[in-house]
Amino acid sequence: MENLLANPSPSAHASTQPQGRTAVPVLQLTDIEKIYQTKTIETVALNRVNLTINRGEFVSVMGPSGCGKSTLLSLMGLLDEPTSGTIEVDGRAVTSYSDRELAGLRNAKIGFVFQSYHLINDLSVVDNVELPLLYRPGLSGKERRQRALGALEKVGLSARTGHFPSQLSGGQRQRVAIARALAGAPEIILADEPTGNLDSVMGEEIMALLLGLNQQEGTTIVMVTHDEQQARKTQRLIRLFDGSQVG
Amino acid sequence: MIRHLLTLMWNRKRANGLLIAEMVLAFFVLFAVGSLGVYLQRNYQSPLGFSYENVWEMQLDPGSQPRAEQFATLHLALQRLRSTPGVEAVTRSNYNTPFTFNNNTTDFDTGKGTKKAPGDIYRVGAELPQVVGLHLLAGRWFDRRDDAPGARSPIVITDLTQAALFGGQSGLGKIVRDGPNEYRVIGVSGPYRAGGELSDPQPAAFRYVAPLDTSAMDLHVLLLRVRPGAGAALEKRLNEQVRQLNAGWTSGITPLAENRHNKLKQLLTLPALLGVVCLFLIVNVMLGLFGVLWLNINQRRGELGLRRAMGATSGAISRQIVGEIITLTTFGLLLGLGLAVQFPLLGVFDVPAGAYVTAMLLASGLLYTLAAGCALYPSRLAAGIHPAVALREE
Repeated sequence: MENLLANPSPSAHASTQPQGRTAVPVLQLTDIEKIYQTKTIETVALNRVNLTINRGEFVSVMGPSGCGKSTLLSLMGLLDEPTSGTIEVDGRAVTSYSDRELAGLRNAKIGFVFQSYHLINDLSVVDNVELPLLYRPGLSGKERRQRALGALEKVGLSARTGHFPSQLSGGQRQRVAIARALAGAPEIILADEPTGNLDSVMGEEIMALLLGLNQQEGTTIVMVTHDEQQARKTQRLIRLFDGSQVG
Repeated sequence: MIRHLLTLMWNRKRANGLLIAEMVLAFFVLFAVGSLGVYLQRNYQSPLGFSYENVWEMQLDPGSQPRAEQFATLHLALQRLRSTPGVEAVTRSNYNTPFTFNNNTTDFDTGKGTKKAPGDIYRVGAELPQVVGLHLLAGRWFDRRDDAPGARSPIVITDLTQAALFGGQSGLGKIVRDGPNEYRVIGVSGPYRAGGELSDPQPAAFRYVAPLDTSAMDLHVLLLRVRPGAGAALEKRLNEQVRQLNAGWTSGITPLAENRHNKLKQLLTLPALLGVVCLFLIVNVMLGLFGVLWLNINQRRGELGLRRAMGATSGAISRQIVGEIITLTTFGLLLGLGLAVQFPLLGVFDVPAGAYVTAMLLASGLLYTLAAGCALYPSRLAAGIHPAVALREE
């Protein structure tokens, strides 16, 4: 199993989409609006956002706090429904999908990495990594364990499989979260400020891991970040302001 | 998923310690009340071995009549009562008549150093089978052949006594001892549970009181079979007949059905109270469980949102919450069962092992049902958690 940490990206703008190759949209958002409504207030979180993410792309999303970045990521991750507009995954509109179908799609195609890791403290590292595989039908326990160990090897945490999250540093926890996202071999990884809680060294390490994933395995990554430097390392930058796409 | 639940619950055993302790306590309350309930129900279903309908108990009080004269009066009374229209049969008995709280227990054995069988002994007349409908399974009942004093007094034992003393063999013609007294078994009867439906079926034997046995002058209790429908008029007449024989004599009559009713009422008071206490405790456990689960789900919104993001359906979340409480219940049950199983192993309270095992199964089933019932609504709440909101809250 290849360790992605061993080959961090040397190039800040490396692309897995060679020029001339046809871009295949994996996620497409058309005229997306998201409005949060209470009895007295209506808050427009996203306003007519149109966005296409192609297979193999590494896209970063930037913008000030409250501009709708996380809402956009939730919609891409099929965790939320838009107020209007359509979301297509692999060319299929998912707006009318049932809870079961959406859950299946999330499990098969999307991996999540969060700023606060979202690890379950009462489960060991390897049990945390196995989590998405529990919801995938047809996998035996042995197979799940092998995949989880493989994912942990990729992020360089083979020696920590039996540890608990509280025994790890912030960077290690985020690597576990990335391994968890990788375990299900998703086509897309959605990372919500993955380096936000880490110091610069750890942040670089996690960024290198994500770049390695994108370059070596062709995983499509959409990353929300506040860090301009990190964003510049990705292939495309999307800027949001007050719920609208400005760049 | 089962392995995942077991791992998760095992790793959270400290946090869930109180909940597990609550389960163990609830199991024990259910087990204790269940054991009593099953024990009483099994006893209730066992045959009494006699009929109590249209049987009256008559207590005779000779007052201040000299003891030497009492036997003649009693003999006359028996003759009068037997010939009274409406009376079908009369027998003498000692005080442990059916459904009273009196008993006369002894240890039966078959010789020195042999196995002892504790049981009840009844001193009765030859008419007992006619009066209470006792069934004879082998041999014979007492008759005139037993009137003359012999080397060994005759005795009729119940089938349970025969099994306890002779195993699978017949006890007819064999010797049974009651302390220093030896008896020869002349008959084997069906069960006779004078203690009533709730009493434990146990060995019993009948000793004979011959009509002219003046040594048994303490037997001033009679059992009478009367015609169906006999009531207060016959009761009054029977009491008057006794008084006519000797003005100092008094008597009182109670139908066995009334004694039975009173005894059942008294014996069921304690189990009924225990049942109410048990119900109260169970409601408390349920409320506690419900509250803990509610709190637990609110504290775990982030985790549940994460599971949704990882591909869990709302149904899977709901099943997980119920599964977790079932797993915790299993931990509690294993602890409780480990202790409860000592009761049948050690033979505590002489309750049959089968009653304990049934109570364990009932308590386990009820506890699982209660736990699942308590988890149902919180699990729906958990299933309704919006993943995007829950993950953002964290």
